[in-house]
Amino acid sequence: MVGHPVPLTVMIATSCGRCTTPLPAELPSSITLAHRSDHKGTPMSSHAWPRFSLVPVAALATLLAFGLVALADPPAAEAQKKKVLNIAAKEPETLDPHTSILGQTQAIKRFMYRGLARFAIKDGKVTTSEVEPDLAESWTLSPDGTVWTFKLRKGVQFHKGFGEFTAEDVKFSFERQINKAPGTRFGVNLGVIKSIEVVDPHTVQIALKAFDPIFLLRMVGYQQGYIVSKKAVEKFGEQYKWNPVGTGPFYFERHAPREKVVLKAFDKYHGGRPQIDEVHWFDVPEDATKLIGLEKGTFDLLYPEAVTADFAGQVQKMGAVIDRRGPGGQERFYINMTKPPFDDIRVRRAFMHAIDRKAIKETMYPGGLARVAPSCVPPGYFGHIPMTFPEYDPEKARKLLAEAGHPNGFTIKNYFISKSFFYPKVLTLAQEQLKKVGIIVELQVVEHATFHENIRKNLDPFVLYGGTRITDADPWLSLFFDSKEIPDPATGNKGTNFAHYKAIDDLLAAGRVERDVKKRAAIYAEAQKRIERDLVCLPISDVPGQWARNPKRVSTPFDPEYGEFSLHYSYNYPEMLKILN
Amino acid sequence: MFQYVLRRLLVAVPMLLGAMSIVFFAMRILPGDPCVAMMGDQATTEALADCTKSLGLHRPLAVQYVDYLWRSAQFDFGTSLRQGYPVSEYIARMFPHTLVLVMASVILAALIGIPIGIVSALKRKSPLIDYPLRIFALLGLSMPVFWLGILLLIVFSLRMDIFPLIGGGDLDGALHMIRTGEVFSNPADFLAAVGDVLHHLTLPALALGFTLAATVSRLSRSAMLEVISQDYIRTARAKGQAERAVVYKHALRNMMVPLLTIIGLFVAIALTGTVLTETVFTRPGLGKMLVDAIGARDYPLAQGAITVFTMIIITVNLVVDMLYAVVDPRVTYR
Repeated sequence: MVGHPVPLTVMIATSCGRCTTPLPAELPSSITLAHRSDHKGTPMSSHAWPRFSLVPVAALATLLAFGLVALADPPAAEAQKKKVLNIAAKEPETLDPHTSILGQTQAIKRFMYRGLARFAIKDGKVTTSEVEPDLAESWTLSPDGTVWTFKLRKGVQFHKGFGEFTAEDVKFSFERQINKAPGTRFGVNLGVIKSIEVVDPHTVQIALKAFDPIFLLRMVGYQQGYIVSKKAVEKFGEQYKWNPVGTGPFYFERHAPREKVVLKAFDKYHGGRPQIDEVHWFDVPEDATKLIGLEKGTFDLLYPEAVTADFAGQVQKMGAVIDRRGPGGQERFYINMTKPPFDDIRVRRAFMHAIDRKAIKETMYPGGLARVAPSCVPPGYFGHIPMTFPEYDPEKARKLLAEAGHPNGFTIKNYFISKSFFYPKVLTLAQEQLKKVGIIVELQVVEHATFHENIRKNLDPFVLYGGTRITDADPWLSLFFDSKEIPDPATGNKGTNFAHYKAIDDLLAAGRVERDVKKRAAIYAEAQKRIERDLVCLPISDVPGQWARNPKRVSTPFDPEYGEFSLHYSYNYPEMLKILN
Repeated sequence: MFQYVLRRLLVAVPMLLGAMSIVFFAMRILPGDPCVAMMGDQATTEALADCTKSLGLHRPLAVQYVDYLWRSAQFDFGTSLRQGYPVSEYIARMFPHTLVLVMASVILAALIGIPIGIVSALKRKSPLIDYPLRIFALLGLSMPVFWLGILLLIVFSLRMDIFPLIGGGDLDGALHMIRTGEVFSNPADFLAAVGDVLHHLTLPALALGFTLAATVSRLSRSAMLEVISQDYIRTARAKGQAERAVVYKHALRNMMVPLLTIIGLFVAIALTGTVLTETVFTRPGLGKMLVDAIGARDYPLAQGAITVFTMIIITVNLVVDMLYAVVDPRVTYR
């Protein structure tokens, strides 16, 4: 609108409504005359206007600007003296480790906080299925399997002079979550705890309601497992989210909102001071800007919003690498085995023969951006084994459908799918493939919350679902295959056993009390075999966490391709990152 | 004059109220809610209900609305749902960054656009001058600021390495020195801070200013064309004044009234332009904050930002109207 001269006249004429005398009717509606409300009718006399010309002013302003620019120190100079790691990601919304699930926030937390345990490094790789002590020195389990005694590492210091880390801090960190302190999100993962007792400053006893085979995984420095300083939380109250105090390798220095968060190396870090002096975590919303920054050297590490083939190509072209970290998120189908016609295993088999998993994965995540998922328990989870699924074969699918009494296929009306995340894209691809064998899916694209509501009302005969959980087969299989988790609108059960599967309850129960690691693994292997036999789950893609890194500036001891497994952050050990020049 | 300003300020109240109401309801009509945005895909229904309650979003909309207006009337815009900072404090930090960007781009737009518009009007009969200038205007009009921004970044920041890629420079430092009076005791540091701000400001201001300049040049051209067809210009020429004097003394000054309106209007357009400019150039500021706040459904922050935007536009309009009296002595307000 503003691009044309016409509205200008209108606009100025309108502005005359402010003057009290009406415009004389005979005046042309020109701009100059618009304000002739005092009606002298002559142009402005020259004495009314100070004498100056635009040209010298402009020249002066430009000169001043460039003169000052020349005065300014090149900003890179200072950074060169110190070893500064520059990260481009989005801004975290809080630095309280027990409150946020956003990717960038979980990633920055790991720089500042630690837990009693940590994911173990085995054969030069970080695994998410085994743990080793971190803030704890050692631990023991009572004979009945319900009391854990943790001996804490002595001399571990909190940041900013908040004193030595003690059993009180452990008790406080877990209890604030169990008691649902405002904003905390992970208390549910500590629901197994009955009580926490401080035996002495360096010994803490945690009594459980029942034996929990994955309790040590819950104690890993990740979400609920992070230990905060009791003194600091009590001192800062609601302001703690921007006054974080942990025991990690970096401490919080300052936050310039919408600009950056600055962290500094913690001299007294119990694992030794990191080589990097400072971490500058920039709030960069645009992936295009992140890429320019990586090429220019402004940034060393990028946490992109979305890793597309184009993004990966550009990263490679500029000689940077993508650090891929499993297990990431898995996208998969659960088939409701109680809902006709899927109550017939031949129809479920036909469904699986109709879906070309590789094609969906390649369309969604070409090349190395993701892997075709090998199991309903993702790799990286304790207990995972590879499974086999009916291969893509539309001809076989059609035959099976005919055998099951659907020679012309069938139509699924009102199939609900979320409009957000990967859901609509994956489902549209599956819809096309199913159509080829005669299964017509009529999609209703709905809000994400509606989708969640509807799949718990069993409105979809097969459900597309995604996500990451604590990396053990027990919580994973319990959530998706335990009969207690079958959603039922009649009872209000909002579980996530969308397959309505009941065949591994015995194995899950056995696994929960089994303390022998090998036997547990065998139990979950058997569970996966049964799921494979009953055809209730079809995994599509395992999508890793992905960061781009300038390898000439920053090194990590772990292989870019799945050298680490991690949860919601990409670098388990940020203190091992090194600035090379 | 005083009465006039008072009247205008009174009229501003319902305008502000209208804008605030629109943003309040628009934010709530938008699909998605702050808790889902915050807690993501995995949140359980119970967790979402807890979150909704703790943010006070479970209350009836009318109650939330009245509460919001009542608090705003007391200049309490609440706290950011996500980051927990008081909204007014947040805005106070962001505002200077946006202000310098808007001012710089409006000044640039005026410095580039007005001379081009004038020359283009005066030389409209010589295609060698007028046509290229009109092409320039067309280019500016058709280039979106985010595209031009990325182009400038690639050329001047990545390839030539003259300007920084991100950030707003040491504006906080400069402002702090002004507040504490350090500016006099330590002028070198102050100049360095200002230089740093300008260094960071150049590309964003160019991107935004250039797209604005194109429009300014078109509008100034038509304003100038109007003026030079007036009788007094013919009279001036007839009495034998040099063309230079005709343009500077008579035409330019009479063009000022419409130009002021244009510049006023451009403050408003530049403000909306900051949303994209700040995002592309990764500058802190109200625009970038607003985009993030809307994305995260951070109601108080988005409402606060839009209220401030509205207040700025109302103020600029008022100031422009008052400036008419300064540039044109024939205008009086009662």
